[in-house]
Amino acid sequence: MLVAWRYRKRRSIIQWFDPRAWLTFYACFLFSTLAFWDVRFLLFFVVITFFVLINSGVKWREIRRAFLFIVGFVLFFAFLTFLTGRGGTEVYEEEHLLRELKASFSIFGWTPTLKITVERIFFAVSQFARISSIAIMTVLLPYSLDPSLYGVIFRGLGLPDKFAYAMDLTMRFIPTFARDFQLTVDAQRARGYELEKLSGGVVEQVRKMGPIFVPVTIHAIIGSEDIIDAMDLRAFGVGPRTWIDVIERRTRDRILIWFGVAILVVSLVLGLLGYGEFWVPEALIRLAGG
Amino acid sequence: MTPIPLVVENLSFRYRDRQGAAIHDINFEARAGEILLIAGASGCGKTTLIRSINGLIPRSYKGEMSGHVLVFGEETTSWKLSQISQKIGTVLQDPERQILGTKVLNEVAFGLENLTVPREEILHRVDEALAFLKISHLRERETFTLSGGEKQKVALAGVLAMRPSILLLDEPLASLDPASAQDTLDTVRFLADQGMTVLMVEHRVEDVLRIKPERVMFMSEGEVRYLGDLAGLSQVVNYREVKLPAEDIVERAKRDPAPEEISILPGAAGRGEKEALVKFENVAFGYDADIEVLHGINLEIRRGDVIAVLGPNGAGKTTFVKHAIGLLKPKAGRVLVNGRDTKESSVAQIASTLGYVFQSPSHMLFAPTVSEELAFGPRNLKHSKEQIESEVKEALRIVNLSDKEQDPPLALSFGQQKRVSIAAILAMQSRILVMDEPTAGQDYQNYMNFMNSILQMPAFEAILFITHDVDLAVIYANRVLMINDGRLVADGKPQDVLRDFNRLKANRLVPTSLLSLNLERLPATGRFMRAEALAHV
Repeated sequence: MLVAWRYRKRRSIIQWFDPRAWLTFYACFLFSTLAFWDVRFLLFFVVITFFVLINSGVKWREIRRAFLFIVGFVLFFAFLTFLTGRGGTEVYEEEHLLRELKASFSIFGWTPTLKITVERIFFAVSQFARISSIAIMTVLLPYSLDPSLYGVIFRGLGLPDKFAYAMDLTMRFIPTFARDFQLTVDAQRARGYELEKLSGGVVEQVRKMGPIFVPVTIHAIIGSEDIIDAMDLRAFGVGPRTWIDVIERRTRDRILIWFGVAILVVSLVLGLLGYGEFWVPEALIRLAGG
Repeated sequence: MTPIPLVVENLSFRYRDRQGAAIHDINFEARAGEILLIAGASGCGKTTLIRSINGLIPRSYKGEMSGHVLVFGEETTSWKLSQISQKIGTVLQDPERQILGTKVLNEVAFGLENLTVPREEILHRVDEALAFLKISHLRERETFTLSGGEKQKVALAGVLAMRPSILLLDEPLASLDPASAQDTLDTVRFLADQGMTVLMVEHRVEDVLRIKPERVMFMSEGEVRYLGDLAGLSQVVNYREVKLPAEDIVERAKRDPAPEEISILPGAAGRGEKEALVKFENVAFGYDADIEVLHGINLEIRRGDVIAVLGPNGAGKTTFVKHAIGLLKPKAGRVLVNGRDTKESSVAQIASTLGYVFQSPSHMLFAPTVSEELAFGPRNLKHSKEQIESEVKEALRIVNLSDKEQDPPLALSFGQQKRVSIAAILAMQSRILVMDEPTAGQDYQNYMNFMNSILQMPAFEAILFITHDVDLAVIYANRVLMINDGRLVADGKPQDVLRDFNRLKANRLVPTSLLSLNLERLPATGRFMRAEALAHV
């Protein structure tokens, strides 16, 4: 059986709007954020993100695990990019060295060296600001959108009936998959299986994950077949369908949509005019002797 | 003259990937206002028959089909599923597999939305269906928070809202506590009395007999072995194959030799004082920080205990037993297995002492063959190769699957998969066995056989099983725990706990004919016995 995200009605800025309006705003926000590498511009999106987060009504204990995972994940990758210097070379060509740290040992003649450059620092900061803003705005959605309205929301956004209902099922498949995964892990642990003690090379470790992946996959397939049977038995897809849930667009929703569209248009225009590209402060470049 | 609602003529079907027909030359008709009970062992073709009538065969399940299904005199072969679904409503075995909507309202409205019925009409029909089943209070509830009985009723409401003339129920009682099962059966009787034609596939024959189905069909190996009234059923079927009322079994078993006494837990017998193997000390637990679902559980599982855990759907029974193997850790209090706090042991460490059979087999089966599946647990516990080989063979023998050793477990029927999942734990040779609804979805003969064998295994020192089947507790348990609303409300010998019918009612349990007969004869027998044994007292 499909389970839903942990939605609850709350005093939330997201729930104050029609979900279709919020999703439209969210899409505009996402593409606008991706238009910039300049941390000064990105600061605007970070501020919006934190404003929404604080006013989302989602309690810290509800979101703590997801929040720490996302921020930790993004921080890790930003730091990795900083260490290796790869990833940012598409947005800057020249690097200004602030400091070079060399290891006191060599491996086959290669001495590990960390180059701390102005560009690497600012690229990591920009990357962190961009991705964490998008991720936080995304993770708030399942806590804020009523799962019983998923279908009608997507229908309201212009998708055909079948696709709208498929999106509804897909949105609920994710938490269902997580539940089934946990049940399988528990069932195998009860047979003495220890996921944390897998040994061997990568291929061997993947092979040893079979007791988890096979049941989870098979369960997902069987579950899908059950869903198809249940839908067929109640005449799904024979023609246009009625949606009993009705959501209404109000003035505030129109304002939000226009606000989102305005941000997107301004972002794209600024991008076309050459604003918002990767930026580092002149003072730091001078400090680096550039 | 109004045509007969359902006529099945010479119906046969063979699944595309299987050899041999799943059903062969089935003929019957079902009239308005009639309940036709369809019984038979797992794999006898009951579900295939249902699928052939509701149109899933041959539309979703491909194969060779011959014969006719006539609904109100019209052949349904050329009908679309949407047409069939307006005449024939189907409630699947597990309501969890049928419910699609996030909220009860959406779930019940789903079929009508698909038929483009106007919104106002849908809301009217939804409210009508909910009121009819007396579940209007559930209208705004999220479906995944419902109990098993509530889910069953919501699934039924979703079908009834489409106003079918024929209702197909595929093992509707399988996951329900006895009181919910009784509610469902009363509803079915009422629907039939209103003129609906009802076909009900069910293993729990004795329960269904209470609502007096007009006719019974008994199937075996894809064919109809008996079709007729209730009185004739007990004359043609073996009382070991189908669970009949205890009085009928006693009557018939008198003619047979007395059954052999089974020696329960021979590994625990004669070992002196009953040692506590598992201890629950004031255990409290909640999945969310602010909602407690287990409250102050105190008990010991001692050597020699065969414990039946009874209680309503959603009472916290599974949550309780998951603490014993350390899958859940108490928020307050502690659980000791072999004297060691489960918070200090890994689940794998506990698994060598306590084997736990999950409710659903599909969450654990993964191996290419049954024997490899069974070897997985013992291998994790570092048993020797020779030991594993004999453990696998013995476990297969107990669950009657020795001929399936090289078959892929995932290709077996649900009942067989369930037995593989039990055998997989048996092969680990733990000292304590814990089973979560081991008989759900199993036919009577199979589950009685494997329960007999499991209880005689010398390796086990204690066994605990969760069940909705009161008779299982009567026959096998020497101790009954009753859990309701996260609290241990009764703990004692079956004859002490189960004699209080008010307590049973408060915990959504229903006295069975076997329980009543045992209580009646208790002064003479001194203990609970199975019906076959009572016949010879």
